[in-house]
Amino acid sequence: MRRILSTILFIFLLGQSSRFGVPWWAIAPIGVLAGWLFPMHAFRGFLAGFLGGSLLWGTTAAMLNNANDGILSAKVGLLFQGLQGWQLVLLTAVLGGLLAGFGVLTGRYARDLYVGSKPND
Amino acid sequence: MRVFRFLLSLFLTVLFGWLLWAPQTVGDKSLPSLGGFFNPFSGFWKNAAPVANTFQDIDLPGLKGEVQLVYDDLLIPHIFAENLDDAMRVQGYVTAQHRLWQMDITTRKASGRLSEILGERTLGIDRVTRRRGMVFAAENAVKAWSESPENLRMLQAYVDGVNAYVNQLRPADYPIEFKLLNYAPEPWSLLKTALVVEAMSENLCSRDADLASTKAAAKFGWDTFDYLFPEWNPKQQPIIPDTGQWKQWNVNIEAPTTIAPEAFGQTSRKPESGTTPSFDTDPYVEGSNNWAVAGTRTKSGHPLLANDPHLTLGLPSIWFQLQIHTPGQNCYGVSLQGVPGIIIGFNEQIAWGVTNVSHDVSDWYHITWADDKHSEYLLDSVRQKVQERIETIGIKGKDPLLDTVRYTVWGPVVYEYDHTHPLRDCALRWISHDAPSPDGSRIFMFLNAGKNYDDYRKALNLYDCPAQNFVFATSSGDIAITVQGKFPIRQKGQGRFIQDGSRQISEWHGFIPMDRVPAMKNPSRGFVFSANQHSTPPSYPYYYLGSFDDFRGREIYDRLSNMQNATVDSMKTMQLDNFSRRAADALPAMLSLLDRSHLDDEGKKMAAELDAWDFRYEADATAAPLFDVWFDTCYARTWDEWDGQENLLLPESWRFIELLEKDTASIFFDHPSTPARETARAIVQESFETMQEYFRQHPDKRTTWGHFMGFTLKHLAQLDAFSRLDVVVGGHRTAPNAMQKTHGPSWRMIVDLNEKVKAYGVYPGGQSGNPGSPYYDNMVDTWAKGDYYELLFLSAADEPSSRIAGRQTFKPTHP
Repeated sequence: MRRILSTILFIFLLGQSSRFGVPWWAIAPIGVLAGWLFPMHAFRGFLAGFLGGSLLWGTTAAMLNNANDGILSAKVGLLFQGLQGWQLVLLTAVLGGLLAGFGVLTGRYARDLYVGSKPND
Repeated sequence: MRVFRFLLSLFLTVLFGWLLWAPQTVGDKSLPSLGGFFNPFSGFWKNAAPVANTFQDIDLPGLKGEVQLVYDDLLIPHIFAENLDDAMRVQGYVTAQHRLWQMDITTRKASGRLSEILGERTLGIDRVTRRRGMVFAAENAVKAWSESPENLRMLQAYVDGVNAYVNQLRPADYPIEFKLLNYAPEPWSLLKTALVVEAMSENLCSRDADLASTKAAAKFGWDTFDYLFPEWNPKQQPIIPDTGQWKQWNVNIEAPTTIAPEAFGQTSRKPESGTTPSFDTDPYVEGSNNWAVAGTRTKSGHPLLANDPHLTLGLPSIWFQLQIHTPGQNCYGVSLQGVPGIIIGFNEQIAWGVTNVSHDVSDWYHITWADDKHSEYLLDSVRQKVQERIETIGIKGKDPLLDTVRYTVWGPVVYEYDHTHPLRDCALRWISHDAPSPDGSRIFMFLNAGKNYDDYRKALNLYDCPAQNFVFATSSGDIAITVQGKFPIRQKGQGRFIQDGSRQISEWHGFIPMDRVPAMKNPSRGFVFSANQHSTPPSYPYYYLGSFDDFRGREIYDRLSNMQNATVDSMKTMQLDNFSRRAADALPAMLSLLDRSHLDDEGKKMAAELDAWDFRYEADATAAPLFDVWFDTCYARTWDEWDGQENLLLPESWRFIELLEKDTASIFFDHPSTPARETARAIVQESFETMQEYFRQHPDKRTTWGHFMGFTLKHLAQLDAFSRLDVVVGGHRTAPNAMQKTHGPSWRMIVDLNEKVKAYGVYPGGQSGNPGSPYYDNMVDTWAKGDYYELLFLSAADEPSSRIAGRQTFKPTHP
């Protein structure tokens, strides 16, 4: 449980660097790093990465959307088959989650290769 | 196994990342990358600007002093600067801050650079833009402006202000359209400012009917041509009436008018009376109204001035409101994105507004090539070399197209590349290609700081193009109007038709001297006005070529002549007037020709509805669609000789109505395809039945005028998501409130030139160009309802007002 939380927190905090110009896709390598540092069962690792990534992208989008009263997301939603603003937030969260989740998985298996230890969590 | 798991997960990560990272292509449209667009750090979410405004101080290099910026509750900036250069720098900065993408797309369109971002599908548009000499014209303007150091310094301050904003942008800050179309903003330049001006010219003074008139004369012969296309509508009211002011002028042009006969199979004849080109074939007319009422007719005893330019309406709006206060001026009004100063507005002493002059300043000359390669052409039998200009048109994802444009003494041979184009061997002589006066771009600066009639006239003398009717009023009681521009002097009929470009004598015979352009100050009738109609009656010594339908002008004239004790509210009701002179002229004539005994019950009901109609295109009028369909059908049935003909001039609608009233047996009412000889009566009757049939087949169209017209306010990239498609308005292009589906009053302004100037205004849009901002379209509903805002005209930066949303300071930085 501690590693799950650590992974989530690690991705969420390091991911904030994208606010300061670090490219958005950095969330994938950050996930790799998290997967290396906090090894756990593959599924759990992926889940933790997914949660960390979606938390990062989802809350950031949700906060911007909220401050904007949803004006822009209502319009952008029309560009994408009439999605609602909250659905766009969800979609954003899922994209960020998947990217981080795959990253964690990669990091974990990379550690397997080099360290060879079986995760005990 | 471990290696495999690792590779698989790495592959999945990279694959998914690549899917998010790679730009997507759907059909011929390229979309941004999913990750780039959706990520909340640099994607579209970053454009979701907080609804609550915050204003921070800004360091702006190049400023001489501090500049105070006050934003009001409509996000209108009020600039308080210590000098004009600083004011221009800040105007550039804030304009870019709110409208950067609009500035970019406007200049891309004007310079034939759309294909660089949109690919091959806009290549045709870009090519014609380049070949019409738009960039050539803008380069000439920059060259001319550079001759005036004062002008150059001011323009450069504006350019630098824009670039100070552009240079500090991170990709995350780009306007959303850049993200959607996947490209980056560029630095601004003098050339781009010139391109915005040229785009306005293209919009306002590039129209001509040379080809259509030439073909009509060739098809019908001169007598019929004169019958169909008379030059002057006796019912109309010109902008400047004949008061004997030009009786003494002696204007004689010895040269004959040349028409290029070999090109169009036309037997040569010098037309005795030139006529006006019809723009009825183009239903989207850019027109405008303006007027000023003297104190003798107003309640306050002070003048009132009103202006509503009718343009293509879109989002973001073509106009950007602002106030510019310096020690030398305190001016408020609307500006164009990319052009320093205020174009339509007022200050503490004066107010002014513009409408387009419909004088034709664009002519075609048929070229006689001297060789097959088109490297030389004949001018008075002497071989002349063409100047080749190579246009490099960038195309996204492809090699650029290198396009050679041949320039003759007349101008560019625009359509040479299209062997099927009827103008392929014709050169374009267009006033916009001419270099403006070196201080040409400063005339609005001079107006902004103007204090009286002399300042107004001095400023206008520098103004060339696109020609405008400048209405003017002062708080000291003067009113005036000037038809200002650079107007070619032509032989009667010259420029109506494609001219013989192999003879030097075909050229324009100079330009109307600036002290002879039609103008009027303080007429005894107590008002001046314009609605794009004829500048002058036929007695004006210089030949006037070009006209708009003058239904609006007649209505405005009648209302102003009957106006006493005028107030701001009387001005509002005039701007919002949906009364159509065209309907009032045509409908009684049509109804009197209609035989109701042949109509069925439904038809009788429709006729009764039309009887009761007050000729007002109100949004809820249900008779208006009946009239429009009936009138258009009558018009089309009458001119069935035109069916299947391209580029053939159609008579103006006032002439058509005149025939309905006075010449019902005209041969043109006859259908050539039937043995019977039809008259106007038959046309009116069959058109009525066709109209009935139309509404039977389209029951959804049997609705109110507002829904029938179907007004739309489209985003400049035609994205429905960023457009307003829910606005229902009334109005008609033949009524003062000249609304059309995509065109209409782009800025309604009324200035009360009382001791303390008060003004009212509204435009269909908002100050912000960001679709995510509440200020993107916040004025649209006010505009649609016919309401106005009182304009916040501050006298000092620290003047208290409940309408102030925030303040910021621009501070000079010294590197």
